[in-house]
Amino acid sequence: MFRNRICIFLNLLISVLLTTINEVNASEGIYETPRILNTYGMPGSIDTPTAEVFPEGQFSVSSSIFGGTIRTNLSFQVTNGVTVSFRYARIPSARGNHRGYFWDRSFDIHYLFNEQKKYLPSIAIGLRDFIGTGLYTGEYLVATKNITQNIKISGGLGWGRLSGKNNKANIFGLSNERIAFSTGFGGTLHSNHFFSGSNSPFFSLSYDLSPRLEIIAEISSDDYGMEVATSRGFKRRNDVNFALKYELAQGFSLMGKLMHGDAIGLSGTLALNPRNNPYKSGIEPAPLPLLGNKALIETQSLMKSDIFSESAELLELDGIILLTMKIENKFVNVEVFDRNYLDVSQMIGRVARVLSKTVPLSVEFFKIKVVDYQAGYSVSKIIIERESLREFELKFDGPASLWKDVQIENASAGINSSFTLSDSPTTWSFYPDVDLLLFDPHFPINGSLGWEATLSYRINNSTIINSSVKQPILTALNEIKRGPKSGLPNVRSDFMFYYRDISTRPYISSLTIDQFYKPFKNIYGQINFGYLEMMYAGIRAEAIWKDANKPYAIGLDLASINKRNTYGDFSILSNNYSTIIGSVYYDFQSDWNVQLDAGRYLAGDYGTTFSLSRNFNNGWEIGAYATLTNVKFSTFGEGSFDKGITLKIPLSWFTGKKSQAYSKSVIRPITGDGGARLHLDDDKFLYRNIARYGERSFNKNWKRVYR
Amino acid sequence: MMRTIFVLLSLLCLSCSSDSIISSEKTLLYKIYKDVIKTKPASSPSKDINEKILYDKAWLSKFNYPIILLSSLDGKNTATLVALGNYKDKLTWVSADGISVSFLNGILIATRGYSEDLMESQHNDLNTLFSKNTKKRIKKYRYLNGENQYRELTFTCTVVEKTNTPSFFLDMKLETTKFTETCKASTTGHTNEYYVLPNTSIVLKSKQWISETNGSINIYNYYAFQNNLF
Repeated sequence: MFRNRICIFLNLLISVLLTTINEVNASEGIYETPRILNTYGMPGSIDTPTAEVFPEGQFSVSSSIFGGTIRTNLSFQVTNGVTVSFRYARIPSARGNHRGYFWDRSFDIHYLFNEQKKYLPSIAIGLRDFIGTGLYTGEYLVATKNITQNIKISGGLGWGRLSGKNNKANIFGLSNERIAFSTGFGGTLHSNHFFSGSNSPFFSLSYDLSPRLEIIAEISSDDYGMEVATSRGFKRRNDVNFALKYELAQGFSLMGKLMHGDAIGLSGTLALNPRNNPYKSGIEPAPLPLLGNKALIETQSLMKSDIFSESAELLELDGIILLTMKIENKFVNVEVFDRNYLDVSQMIGRVARVLSKTVPLSVEFFKIKVVDYQAGYSVSKIIIERESLREFELKFDGPASLWKDVQIENASAGINSSFTLSDSPTTWSFYPDVDLLLFDPHFPINGSLGWEATLSYRINNSTIINSSVKQPILTALNEIKRGPKSGLPNVRSDFMFYYRDISTRPYISSLTIDQFYKPFKNIYGQINFGYLEMMYAGIRAEAIWKDANKPYAIGLDLASINKRNTYGDFSILSNNYSTIIGSVYYDFQSDWNVQLDAGRYLAGDYGTTFSLSRNFNNGWEIGAYATLTNVKFSTFGEGSFDKGITLKIPLSWFTGKKSQAYSKSVIRPITGDGGARLHLDDDKFLYRNIARYGERSFNKNWKRVYR
Repeated sequence: MMRTIFVLLSLLCLSCSSDSIISSEKTLLYKIYKDVIKTKPASSPSKDINEKILYDKAWLSKFNYPIILLSSLDGKNTATLVALGNYKDKLTWVSADGISVSFLNGILIATRGYSEDLMESQHNDLNTLFSKNTKKRIKKYRYLNGENQYRELTFTCTVVEKTNTPSFFLDMKLETTKFTETCKASTTGHTNEYYVLPNTSIVLKSKQWISETNGSINIYNYYAFQNNLF
């Protein structure tokens, strides 16, 4: 019965997550609260949780050290009520398999289901280490109340690890014996033990000495059983922890603490909220203002008679390249490409403004096609009524009024060969290169520093030869001690052989000929042939169906590849592999995107990958994915299945200037052979680049059309 | 080790690209790291021109096109703007370094190029603000937040009129009617001042608020003086 209750609870939790997914209502002006984090990277005092949340969207990185324990946490406030955290911890233990320590990954979730009222406290529920090896597993119910503006108290009940001391009988009337469960290889969700066994109270009291400084005392029920049983840990002299938290700067705080009367420790938190764009609407130069008819006729009389070159010059000031222009009665058809603006609406607004200044007054509609610089095709065509553009420019609700008159259509099929997309067919670059590898217990943070040289040759608008040569100069990746996994063909888990053999030699990171297609107005395709990534060479083809006015798409990704020589040279090994993966994409009206992939993965296993990402409407993206295939968890080994966290950070957020550049990181806790795919750069996948020119993308950013 | 560090630093110095877009992106990226290392705050988005100029009729006579002057409240930073937009009584003035301000009847209705631009505004009485005894008014200002959504401020304002206020323009002293508009919204407030030519709605000089980040600016309507009104 209790198990059913837990299932109901979990279903409710998922429902809450889905229903609150659209909520965006963090306290106005407060975007980062680094002092709320506890040593687990979750809302809390020192070690214990509190019934609080971070501002919606806050992304935090925190690290804590005390008594032999090190915890590094990545936390994210998913919705107003739901907080999640991923942790990598060093835990002292007599059974520790790495020189007396465990190096352990774990996930937490925390849900605030009742906000603080005048007389009632806020109440939250949480699951600690609910997917993992269970070393930190515990559940809690906690309430928090601000007694005065400066004094805050919290109290709660903990189960599992949080019921190590002062335990009482289970308040749900269940057995006081914690239900045992087998974590197997970790990485899987077990729910039977939730809220089982005895429970213990915990309390905390905090006092704000100043707006930046807080003193905290807490009574913790965690007995630190593993940590106190080894000399690498500490002695638990009492139940009390003390700490001072100080906010050094916006988004950055430090905590000094005394744990259980013995261990002195330090924590640092860096909190950043993608919603808190420091440059708000940006500092790009103002756009060209619009003119009334009289002023326009006067201005045009002073312009060159060549409308194309006049328009091209004005657009170039904004970094937009005019490729073609054709005036037909009431319409002007233009094709442009742009490599600067992250927001397509803003870019389209600028194109329309220039056209409104240069083309004759007889032209009433602007039909603008944006050509993708990489692929050479156009995804959509946007039609803007000239008079509406001018009428609503400085009006309240102007963008919304203009949107009603805007049409977005699928652009025609094919690649336009009447223009060239770059002045020179050859481009090259030479920059430092950083390669990071995390979560290896022998080297939790490992990596290399070197250089990368790229060379591209554009054969025509849709065919490019791309190459990248890298050389690690300072590296520890060649010293990875662990070996490949057994049970499956080593399609990914033997990556260390490549790092070892490449060492500090230069190697071909990639060398491909990339051909793009648009055979129909809704179908996009590409073929990549050559050395696709460090470990594989061969041929890959991707096709996507996407209507510019629909928020969804379907795709197919096929690859037939061979393993590359571990020295990263031109040699190819005989091991042949293939992948056949179908994908469904859906971009919700909110900022959430979903992708479901299914098919055959590299090791010949069949399964699905579910990806969920929060796309902030400023280029930031935080997401997670999990791949489950027909490979048994025991065969996959540590971690049970492939999963990861993705983080995409746009450059323009930090500079306020127009730029499409971004940095994408994929944090993969485990590298296994099950569910493995090619590791390709983000720009080798078509969907995001196509969706960028779709109706939903324009609509989301349309408030920038007059910026 | 020293050799490796030397090689790495040399590589950093040799970083380059034939592609101007990639090159500028990398430069911006390095600048972010550099600023973090120097613990320098993000560069101010102000569009300032520091000039030591005597603003008199002789100076104004050099311009044969309409201009206005924007100035920070302390007067240290100024910019001259020219009229580039004109549609249905809405005038948009643009500076050489890329900011623009739009006015309707002398009232600021939009800005572009500031970090927190006044994207849109709604006023219910712009045509009558300076022509009758407006005591109270409501206006809405809209900004873009960090996710390109509106942040709207609704101001409730009181307007106080003071006639025969002497004011200095260029090298002249003029009698003006001063309107002081005190506005409050839920989280912020401001005071705008308009110096209006008596018995007209021509705003000669004003102090107007843009946003919380950018504060207020002084606006000198030299265009009125170019029209031989004086």
